Amino acid sequence: MQFSFIGALGEILSGSGFAALANDPRNLIMILISFVLLYLGIGKKFEPLLLIPIAFGMLLANFPITGLLNAPTATSSPGMLWVFYQGVEHAIYPSIIFLGIGAMTDFGPLIARPSSLLLGAAAQLGIFAAFLLALALGFPGAVAAAIGIIGGADGPTAILVASRLARDYLPAIAIAAYSYMALIPMIQPPLMRLLTTKEEREIKMEQLRPVSKTEKIVFPIAVATVVILLIPDTAPLIGMLMLGNLLRECGVTERLSDTAQNALCNIVTIFLGLSVGCKAVASTFLTWDTIKIIILGLIAFMFSTIGGLIFGKIMCKLTGGKVNPLIGSAGVSAVPMAARVSQVEGQKANPANFLLMHAMGPNVAGVIGSAVAAGFMLKVFGA
Amino acid sequence: MVRDPLSQLDALVVALSGFVIVFLMLALLWGVILVISRVVSGVEHHQVPVMSAPAPAAVPARAAAPAASQQVVLEGIDETQAACVMAIVSHETGIPLDQLVFKSIKAV
Repeated sequence: MQFSFIGALGEILSGSGFAALANDPRNLIMILISFVLLYLGIGKKFEPLLLIPIAFGMLLANFPITGLLNAPTATSSPGMLWVFYQGVEHAIYPSIIFLGIGAMTDFGPLIARPSSLLLGAAAQLGIFAAFLLALALGFPGAVAAAIGIIGGADGPTAILVASRLARDYLPAIAIAAYSYMALIPMIQPPLMRLLTTKEEREIKMEQLRPVSKTEKIVFPIAVATVVILLIPDTAPLIGMLMLGNLLRECGVTERLSDTAQNALCNIVTIFLGLSVGCKAVASTFLTWDTIKIIILGLIAFMFSTIGGLIFGKIMCKLTGGKVNPLIGSAGVSAVPMAARVSQVEGQKANPANFLLMHAMGPNVAGVIGSAVAAGFMLKVFGA
Repeated sequence: MVRDPLSQLDALVVALSGFVIVFLMLALLWGVILVISRVVSGVEHHQVPVMSAPAPAAVPARAAAPAASQQVVLEGIDETQAACVMAIVSHETGIPLDQLVFKSIKAV
């Protein structure tokens, strides 16, 4: 056999990813999109903790002939990303992220003013508005339900529902959910100023009552019991959220609480991001449906904000002006960013206004509300 | 469970039902929180007299608290740090500062 250097080089090149890229240039477009997302995550700091792993997962998945996404066969092992994706497929990662969120969340403001729960419910309006709009645009019911959940402003919930009801649309839904969560400081303020008067924005709210340690310990146990027994499909999310919160509040599991908040949550965030990103392949991502989902996601966020604000105004009227309606927009569950936006807007109207703790009530109520809405959608459209 | 294709009416019913169920569920939790708060405050309120059963002995100590608090022995910490420690102990135990007696606070 005669060895030719040029021939060997040609063989390497023809069998390389570069040659395969030339065969299907759509992969190249996906790689470019992943670069844009990496720029948004690193350069613009849009939810970088999740957007960067998602973008990198997308980059890896669109390198041709790597076999990273291959399912196991009788003769071959599964690809690495296929293995990671099983955590999404079986709703493991979103649930563990909820464990971390529960361990990070202080439900004290909600317990001190439980009427905040209604603001959290009103701010789920976007879920159902986007669901109807998605149906009108021709999406099947299950997919429309998964798209609607973007309006809950809760990434793990959106991912869990999409993984069950709209697997092919998972990357678009996850990217829309996290992108708009990062854009909340830009999406919400114009609506807040449009729907409230200056007098309403200036309202100073009374100090919240102190909440005892026992109340904080009983709360997660009671919520898990009531909600899961009523809507069993919420068990993965509400169960883990409340377990995380119990670890935080019970005072005897500080190490577990610390792990859930930090190490475990960070580890799972990497796998979750990679798994979501790796599903963003050209055949399902480069479609008009993706653009529709991105637009519907924005509409969902806006409707959720509007729902919270309108109910905030109703509560303001009912309480004789004791509730600042700005805290209603915090009912979308992006914790704590939506509450911070309420605080900032409140202070712009009245520099002596401190709405952060008041807004945290509806904010954490929104987490429960979006999980309940997700459980409802899974119940109605699940297999 | 709903099957496709959904009629417009079905879609509207699903959306409205979902929104109402979210409201009802969170309203129910409002009730649950109120019950928890009532029960807990009732139990804690009930426990205060039980815990202060040896009240006769405690009363003089409380009465002497202002004087005693002025004579707290501080070892290795300044007054500001001592004030913080007292506030934290009061907050964590739920006992008002005027009912707590500190004899000494030392850095370890």
